[in-house]
Amino acid sequence: MKPSLLSIPAAFRYWIYLTAVLVTLQAPALLAQEHEDDHDDHEDVVKLSAAELEEFGIVVTEAGPATMVRVLDLPGEIQANDNHLAHIVPRFAGIVIDVKARVGDEVTAGQVLAIIESDGSLSSYEMKTLISGTIIDKHITLGEAVSRENGAFIVADLSTVWVDITVYQRDIPSVAIGQKVFVSGGQGLPEVTGKISYVSPVVEEETRTSLARVELPNPDGAWRPGTFITAKIIVENFAVTVAIPRTALQMMDGKDVVFVETGEGFIPREVKLGRSGKDRVEIVSGLSPGEKYVSVGGFTLKAELAKESFGGGHNH
Amino acid sequence: MLERLIDFSLKNRLLMIVGAVLLMAAGLFSYRQLPVDAFPDVSPNLVQVFTLTEGLAPEEIEKYVTYPVEGAMTGLPGVETIRSVSNFGLSVVNVYFEDGTDIYFARQIVGERLQEARDRIPEGFGDPEMGPISTGMGQVLFYYLDDTTGKYSLEELRSIQDWLIKFHLQTVPGVTEVLGIGGYEKQYHVEIRPDQLLRFDLTLEEVIERVRANNLNVGAQFIEKNSEEFIVRSVGLATGMEDLRSIVIKTRDGTPVFLDDVAHIGIGGAVRRGLQTRNGTGEVVAGQVIKLFGTNSSTVIGRIEEKLVEINKILPEGVRIVPYYQQKSLVQAAVSTVVDALLQGVLLVALVLLIFMGGLRPSIVVSLSLPFSVLFAFLLMGRFGLSANLMSLGGLAVAIGMMVDGTIVMVENVDRRLRLAGPGDSRLKVISRACREVGRPILFAITIIILVFVPLFTLQGVEGKTFRPLAYTVAMAMFGSLIFALFLAPVLTSLFMRTGKSGAGGTAPQEPRMVRWLQVPYRPMVGFFVRRRWAAVVLSVVLLGVGALIFPRLGSEFSPQLREGTIVVRLTMAPSISLTEIKKTTLTVERRLLAIPEIREVISRIGRGEVGAHTDPINSAEIFVILHPKSEWRVAGGQEEIEEIIREELGNVPGVLVNLTQPIAMTVDELLEGVRAELAVKIFGDNLDVLKEVAAETAALIQEVPGAADVQVDQVSGAPQLLIRVDRQAIARYGVNVADVQEVIRAAVGGVVAGQIYEDIRRFDILVRYVPEARDSVESIRNVLIATPDGARVPLDDLASIEEIIGPRQITRENNQRFISIQCNVVGRDIGSFVAEAQELIDDSSILPAGYLATWGGQFRLQQEANKRLAVVVPLILLFIFLLLFGNFNSLRNSVLILMNIPLALVGGVVALWLTGQNLSVPASVGFIALFGIALENGMVLVTYLNQLLREGVPIAEASIQGACQRIRPVLMTAITTALGLLPLLFSSGTGSEVQRPLATVVIGGLVTSTILTLLVLPAFYKWFTVKEER
Repeated sequence: MKPSLLSIPAAFRYWIYLTAVLVTLQAPALLAQEHEDDHDDHEDVVKLSAAELEEFGIVVTEAGPATMVRVLDLPGEIQANDNHLAHIVPRFAGIVIDVKARVGDEVTAGQVLAIIESDGSLSSYEMKTLISGTIIDKHITLGEAVSRENGAFIVADLSTVWVDITVYQRDIPSVAIGQKVFVSGGQGLPEVTGKISYVSPVVEEETRTSLARVELPNPDGAWRPGTFITAKIIVENFAVTVAIPRTALQMMDGKDVVFVETGEGFIPREVKLGRSGKDRVEIVSGLSPGEKYVSVGGFTLKAELAKESFGGGHNH
Repeated sequence: MLERLIDFSLKNRLLMIVGAVLLMAAGLFSYRQLPVDAFPDVSPNLVQVFTLTEGLAPEEIEKYVTYPVEGAMTGLPGVETIRSVSNFGLSVVNVYFEDGTDIYFARQIVGERLQEARDRIPEGFGDPEMGPISTGMGQVLFYYLDDTTGKYSLEELRSIQDWLIKFHLQTVPGVTEVLGIGGYEKQYHVEIRPDQLLRFDLTLEEVIERVRANNLNVGAQFIEKNSEEFIVRSVGLATGMEDLRSIVIKTRDGTPVFLDDVAHIGIGGAVRRGLQTRNGTGEVVAGQVIKLFGTNSSTVIGRIEEKLVEINKILPEGVRIVPYYQQKSLVQAAVSTVVDALLQGVLLVALVLLIFMGGLRPSIVVSLSLPFSVLFAFLLMGRFGLSANLMSLGGLAVAIGMMVDGTIVMVENVDRRLRLAGPGDSRLKVISRACREVGRPILFAITIIILVFVPLFTLQGVEGKTFRPLAYTVAMAMFGSLIFALFLAPVLTSLFMRTGKSGAGGTAPQEPRMVRWLQVPYRPMVGFFVRRRWAAVVLSVVLLGVGALIFPRLGSEFSPQLREGTIVVRLTMAPSISLTEIKKTTLTVERRLLAIPEIREVISRIGRGEVGAHTDPINSAEIFVILHPKSEWRVAGGQEEIEEIIREELGNVPGVLVNLTQPIAMTVDELLEGVRAELAVKIFGDNLDVLKEVAAETAALIQEVPGAADVQVDQVSGAPQLLIRVDRQAIARYGVNVADVQEVIRAAVGGVVAGQIYEDIRRFDILVRYVPEARDSVESIRNVLIATPDGARVPLDDLASIEEIIGPRQITRENNQRFISIQCNVVGRDIGSFVAEAQELIDDSSILPAGYLATWGGQFRLQQEANKRLAVVVPLILLFIFLLLFGNFNSLRNSVLILMNIPLALVGGVVALWLTGQNLSVPASVGFIALFGIALENGMVLVTYLNQLLREGVPIAEASIQGACQRIRPVLMTAITTALGLLPLLFSSGTGSEVQRPLATVVIGGLVTSTILTLLVLPAFYKWFTVKEER
């Protein structure tokens, strides 16, 4: 009679079960992790079907040469052309007995603008404009005593005006005579082109800016002195073997890459950037002409490659 | 003592009945007050502190906002962990309190310290605020605005949401927050043209100052006039665009320069960090209603619905609120699943009683224990603040069969005694004797059942919060059933049951027909085993062998996923993604989803709207999937099958990580922010770059340790920045301060709020910034002009270096230190030794610079802790059970015999799991635990009676057979009632049934083997374990 012998396996098993049960009580959600196993097989290659490219708005373009421009955007102001400007002053001090012109009047050279009675001779003389043009300023009133110190009229020939462009210190080296400039004044004014005819040899002390000037024909007087304008100076104009739009560039691990289409799919290729234009940038190395690359939507491809790492911090 | 109590109740029958009725009434009342939820709330006990600082990068947020807030929160009583995330424009500090801390207390102390934090945050860097008084279960209703007319702009719709709907919904009792998302918050935009500033020789600051200074109402006390007081007020608030346009910025020679001259003024949308799209077509405006912590979900949702009807009436023609996610359906579904199971269980149990008891009267007495126990449990639930939900009500459903057990034994014995009693015996005396006979075993048996559930009370974390309510209600209901069995059943039997038919005299007592039928095949069987004990041994060993064979084949999972009935497709994209891009991609995915025939509608939430219960980053989109009715699906089945279809047909989305989840699970996961991998190494330290480097090196080292799998370093960087570094030499030449430069950058590029426009009570910001073309590219930012003191204008480029870098996407901190975590799973080896090896490797390699610290945590840590806890609790409980058994039988042998019941019961559970293809999971384990109790109880019933027969002088072999035959009724009845009580859970396919099913499977399967054991093997073994001294 050894009852205890019988109970041994039973008791033993019982403990095995009990332990097993208790362990599973705390079993972690291991299964949740299992789907993350297979991320070795796609080494930086993204495969997408034509339909997917279309669906996600990814555009593939052939790399090729381009002419690029470098443009400076600078503020400026329309000024009367100093070379065609005349200050008309009374020859002798006296009393104004007649004013024949107003601001805005078109005058021709030799036209009488006012009649003044000289203090010294008490005889009257005519004040005549020296040039043809428009009266842009007038400081003379009937009956007023004028002297040689007061300018009476300013007459400007507005058939050409000056565009005085403010050039900041950093841009001074780039600006040179002969560069093409697009001038736009906004507010209904057309955009016109001109050439830089003068670059100031000094930097103004107060504003630390220099000056570049374009002489602009102004036949219908649309460009009024005092108007603020924006000038786009084409400072450089060059042809490159490969240029791509900036939208094609992606940053990966701190490097500039472009997604290139290969037989296997799209691969990110590091590129070396050269000079850059407004929207395009020169590729010095990394992309040869004729290769197909992703010009729009590279972000989606970059994200696809980095997908595995998105989970961190937001895992489910 | 117990006897005296039973006698007392028998003597004061009226008192007992009245007491019982009162108790039940109180239980009913308490039930009506119980908060009803879908699931137990597993959200951690935390208070969130949000600080919104538009436009600040993670580094600045951390430095100026997160750090002071964290500092203020340290040292609060009951705080477990402080974790923070500094994101672009948003700081979130999570203060985790110990479980059980009162949330209002926690909020109060956080609120007090918040004041301190506010003082330390620099002016203009945001105001920290506590999150809503809610939990992960709080998001009860989401809706969007449907504009059928198509004539309202997104700004207008958002204004309707923010100033009409929100205001009305917030007044609903139980609603703590309404968050708007989507569309644009209306703003008055003053977009400055920099060339005009140049023309009029103005600076940006001057303009902002002017806007501020021309928009104010003031009061000037009052004057007395003819005995009356006249209040003096001056009205100068801008009321609209006209007023803004005519603000005079400067006067030159008497000619005013109006704001209109230098800026474009219009209505626009505020900068946003999230939006909402629908059906792949475009944006919508939406809102989310958050429920107050601890309120009754179903009541609150009901009130919200009523309010929505009212609001719909006052909305402009053609605009209407359409709810697209409602927790109501989930709550209803979950509760109805268990309530159905409960009711069906009650019916089945009552039916079994009727068949086995062979009479209506005893059946009624036994059945009455059900409502009593359940209502008693409700009463206690009310007292302890448990909510009625899937798990707590599930506990009652699980316990239904067990609740009647005590009373069955009691009533059965009374029945038997009454039948045996002669006509002259006093009824009360007979009943009293019968009750006293079984009172003790009943007390012990039920206590044991309650005790086996105690280890569940010690569960922590999510599984604790999920399964503790079940354990609690089981214990409560069993306690109620104990009271009923011991004190009310005697009273009721005395009132209801008749004495045996007089005249039966010496003939054998009348067993119900059913029982007699059962005894016909049973008697020879038990006789066979009692005579050939080794056969019984063989049977047990075979059964155990089967169990041992199958057990390792069982799969294992943590807990079956609760099906919420709503599918959310969660998209995670690159951290650097722009809102425009994610919107485009999400719309594409939406269109793909809509192509799946089962899907009727999709609506997506991208990023975050108003800050509150939802603070997703901009690279995350959640698509709520609204399905067609089940009848239109191509597949039969439930959520799982549909998820499979979605997964398949959605396919790979380039650049997007797709996860299928559910609304509540998603929110709770976010709050937990836990590490899901087995092992997580956290590297703490100060310098982000060093941290990143160290983490990468550590990961490489861990990778080399045998058994390492899925090693992954947290991706902390990835947010591109345009870093503007002010050149101190350059600004010195021009005499400009750093702040002057920064102020211009902030205002020109980011924008500055220069007051508000009031439209009645609606308030809209006036945002001053440059026109888009002057600030929306690196080139244009380089050209932003800075005014120097001597009047010169210098482009920013001359004063600062501007570079594009990749910065941190977020900075995470724990307990006041920055950290990066490395997650890893361990395959094919013991995790303890793995950690030891890895730790040694890292210590030896000395890759950790001074001041850097590595901690080892993860799921394995939780497991270890739980195992440690259970290693103490389980033996204690077993010891306690053993003591109870010993106390009952006064015999070591008897007690061992009964404990032997357990393994055989487990075999049945294991086999049942295997047959139904289910895994070993937490609910299955809970089933095993319940099985312990039931098996022990059955054994006790039988052994007690055998002992009794033995005492009466019946020889052992004869006693074994006779006793077994006579007790077949209570043993079978308790087993069958328990099994049938669970049957509805087994076959239910309702919401939440997936959690209850493994439990029911285990118990029902186990009951089969356990009953076989009790009825066949136990009588056979009885001889070896009997109390010899008696002979």
